[in-house]
Amino acid sequence: MSDEELAKDLGLLSALAVGIGTMIGAGIFVLPGIATREAGPIVVLSFLIGGVIAMVNALTVSELGTAMPKAGGAYYYINRALGPLFGSISGMGDWMGLAFASAFYCIGFGGYLTTLLDGVVIPFPGTGGVELLPTIVLGPFVLSDIQIGALLAGVAFVTVNYIGAKETGGVQTVIVTVLLGILTVFAAVGFFSFDWGTVMVDGTIAPLGYTEILPGTALVFVSYLGYAKIATIGEELKDPGRNLPIAIIGSVAIVMVVYSILVGLMVGIIPYDQIDVDTPMSDVARVIFEGNIGVIGITSITLAALLATASSANASILASARINFAMGRDKIVTDWLNEIHPKFATPYRSIAVTGFMIVLFLVVLGGEVEVLAKAASVLHLVVYALINVALVVFREADVPEYDPDFTVPLYPITPILGFVLSLGLIGFMKAIEIALGLVFVAGAVAWYGLYARNKTDREGVLSRHILSRSDEMPDAAVSAANVARPSGGTQYKVMVPVSNPRTESDLLSLASIFAKANDGIVQAVHIVEVPDQTPLLEGSEHVQRINEESRTLMERVRESTETLDVPVEVKTVVSHRSFEEVFEVAERERPDKVVMGWGPDRPWSSGRAERPLEELTHDLPCDFLVLNDRGLETDRVLVPTAGGPDSDLSAEVAKYLREQLGSEITLLHVVDSEDDRETGEAFLTEWAEDHDLGDAAVRVDASGDIEGAIAEAARDHTLVVIGATERGLLSRLVRGSLAYDVVHDVECSVLLAERPTSRSLRERLFGTRSDER
Amino acid sequence: MTDQLLETVLLPVAGPEDAEATCAAAVDRIAAAGGRVVAVHVVEKAGGAPDKVSVEQREEYAEEAFEVVERRCADAGVPVETRIAYGTDVAETIFEVADDVDATAIAFTPRGGSRWVRLLTGDVALSLATETDRPVVVLPDPGDEETDEGDA
Repeated sequence: MSDEELAKDLGLLSALAVGIGTMIGAGIFVLPGIATREAGPIVVLSFLIGGVIAMVNALTVSELGTAMPKAGGAYYYINRALGPLFGSISGMGDWMGLAFASAFYCIGFGGYLTTLLDGVVIPFPGTGGVELLPTIVLGPFVLSDIQIGALLAGVAFVTVNYIGAKETGGVQTVIVTVLLGILTVFAAVGFFSFDWGTVMVDGTIAPLGYTEILPGTALVFVSYLGYAKIATIGEELKDPGRNLPIAIIGSVAIVMVVYSILVGLMVGIIPYDQIDVDTPMSDVARVIFEGNIGVIGITSITLAALLATASSANASILASARINFAMGRDKIVTDWLNEIHPKFATPYRSIAVTGFMIVLFLVVLGGEVEVLAKAASVLHLVVYALINVALVVFREADVPEYDPDFTVPLYPITPILGFVLSLGLIGFMKAIEIALGLVFVAGAVAWYGLYARNKTDREGVLSRHILSRSDEMPDAAVSAANVARPSGGTQYKVMVPVSNPRTESDLLSLASIFAKANDGIVQAVHIVEVPDQTPLLEGSEHVQRINEESRTLMERVRESTETLDVPVEVKTVVSHRSFEEVFEVAERERPDKVVMGWGPDRPWSSGRAERPLEELTHDLPCDFLVLNDRGLETDRVLVPTAGGPDSDLSAEVAKYLREQLGSEITLLHVVDSEDDRETGEAFLTEWAEDHDLGDAAVRVDASGDIEGAIAEAARDHTLVVIGATERGLLSRLVRGSLAYDVVHDVECSVLLAERPTSRSLRERLFGTRSDER
Repeated sequence: MTDQLLETVLLPVAGPEDAEATCAAAVDRIAAAGGRVVAVHVVEKAGGAPDKVSVEQREEYAEEAFEVVERRCADAGVPVETRIAYGTDVAETIFEVADDVDATAIAFTPRGGSRWVRLLTGDVALSLATETDRPVVVLPDPGDEETDEGDA
């Protein structure tokens, strides 16, 4: 077996066990008492409707999960599709939702622990004894015995995950099998105690009214939160294309059936308003096992409840660490959180922080199981709503690497339905619970604005989609996309697309001069061209290998290159079409300048592009500097100029060279005849003053032959910097019809400079003239 | 005479810190013997349950550890190869890799930790020393002044 296969060791059964194990602990063992008080016996329908909503979302999660089986699940998809603003909302929402859910599961555990230990008293000399789980009253704070039990459980679960006690696959599956076994016995025996008379109250199954069904669903929805955990561990799944959707959809279906049967039995055994609020299953077990297996039955159910709630809490804590990792990788939260413990090999900080939140929720809200449950649901529902949007965005934006094995049926109805149902269900929550959820969403938005926006550089498919079509899209969408776009790397950035790292150190050196002058960084992007038949999927083994090789190669280049102590960031892009990729990366990364090489050995010299060249090069996303490299020597630099915006850029470049390397600058201006020489000199001197190059040597050529004059002057210089006098220099360069044959005629290196024109994307987006900087 | 024992040495590294300690103890000796290093990081799998840490995160962590080993080996002029291996039993997985690369020895620096910690997290050092089919070199941790209980 290859390591690749070994890394993925979760089979279908294990994945189902994770899903069922996470879900079954929540609803059935904790909520029925509260839920029936709210909705009456008809609460069975509430459970079913909750299951249907979960199922619609489960389809969406399945599609996204098979397209991107990556750590982080929902957060990852949303961040990818909708960008880091919504990524922050979903990451924080998912994370806090899990913390609320864990606290809720702990309360359930505490309840059953209390039942199990009821009356157990530790003998204590003098006072006679102390209850094992006492109720503590500290001024206005009251910690009930259930809360104490829950806190003990919470701390224990967090500790187990913190030190990473070894869990083997068998255990999870055994727990779930035992659970389902006990519940089956319970259901079978309970069937004989079922009485329609108990269900019907005053001749109706909805004594509290049918309008209570949906608020009931809002309450019990927490029972279905487990399936998404399967997505957060998607990377560990064998054959995720098949197993992920089966496990997700299957576990929702199984749990839905189990819930309906058990809750149906409960309301047929104990009148709906008498079902125990804290430990409903123990209560019902007492009735149905009376006269047959008795205490054994009751104890089994209590133990099952402990197992179930523990396994739910445990899975949630694990899943939250995955989300933290994914967020840390995108710099939405600090990577400090994701440090791995040197001895335990666990993400201990992330677990500790989540554990702290759980304990906090237990202490503050532990008395209000309903609030914990709904807070968890609201946050998850927000995330589910966003997941459905993410799916539509992926489909509509036609992202080439988006290739799910499972696709939702009836697209686009299913994701739209999922979105509407998820948000709709929130409407049936109480104001306070919605407010609690909104506080967290607002917190996440604030977090993004204050912290993450400046750190993350991950842009979503959506904003790229909108911004790349800013002509067709409504202005409001464009400006919204702009406001929300990450500004991580607002720092001055000089990008260097590199095709062959071995020969490109001149480009990096040149780029570092510009970066140094602006206190910026150099971003070296290694563009690896692969044949069309090679998939570009980020996770593919091939691409990972390329990434690794490229990284090592680039590190070496960086070390051997003179970079003036400028930070160099290395990045690999695997592409089918390297020329186009240069522009696409530039649009995505938003550098201030692109420095690229030109020559026969570069794949982009062949200009293989699918979009028309004009389109690519007419809307330059930033300044482009193209070096025809004949060895980078910068002591004597020639700058021919006729004025205009593009020679503004040559002047800027010359200035940087002089500042950083002490290059001697010569300015060249060509006039038609000797008569014009004086005007020419006057123009050039003024131009030099305007561009802060007053001390440069001035040379006026009266031959009227621009190319000849440049070629002539170039003989005593080591580098010629030419600004494109009109738009489209790059496209002409690509087509090989460059007006300046001089680029090929001279012996020294030539640097061509083209600045985005007034129609540039940058200007349309930011409303500033690019040469004002 | 070339020291055959240190010809191909498998260095299991648990993380960057451990890599640092292991290299400090091992690399100079291997360089002196003219040997080469195969560094291995084992990603412990739960074998059917969710792992303690996301696999991707462990792989990043492994790369961090390998960077340390690569740097140390480059400084000492020792050829080095790195591997990530996956397995439910760390010691057993290390043996499999050792077989695979024909290691002449497995060298490691025991990491501290109380009995409790080892009981809960599985004592890899003990299994390495007791279940091996090839020479195991237990190196002293040069940075470890205070010896933890039972560390020797």
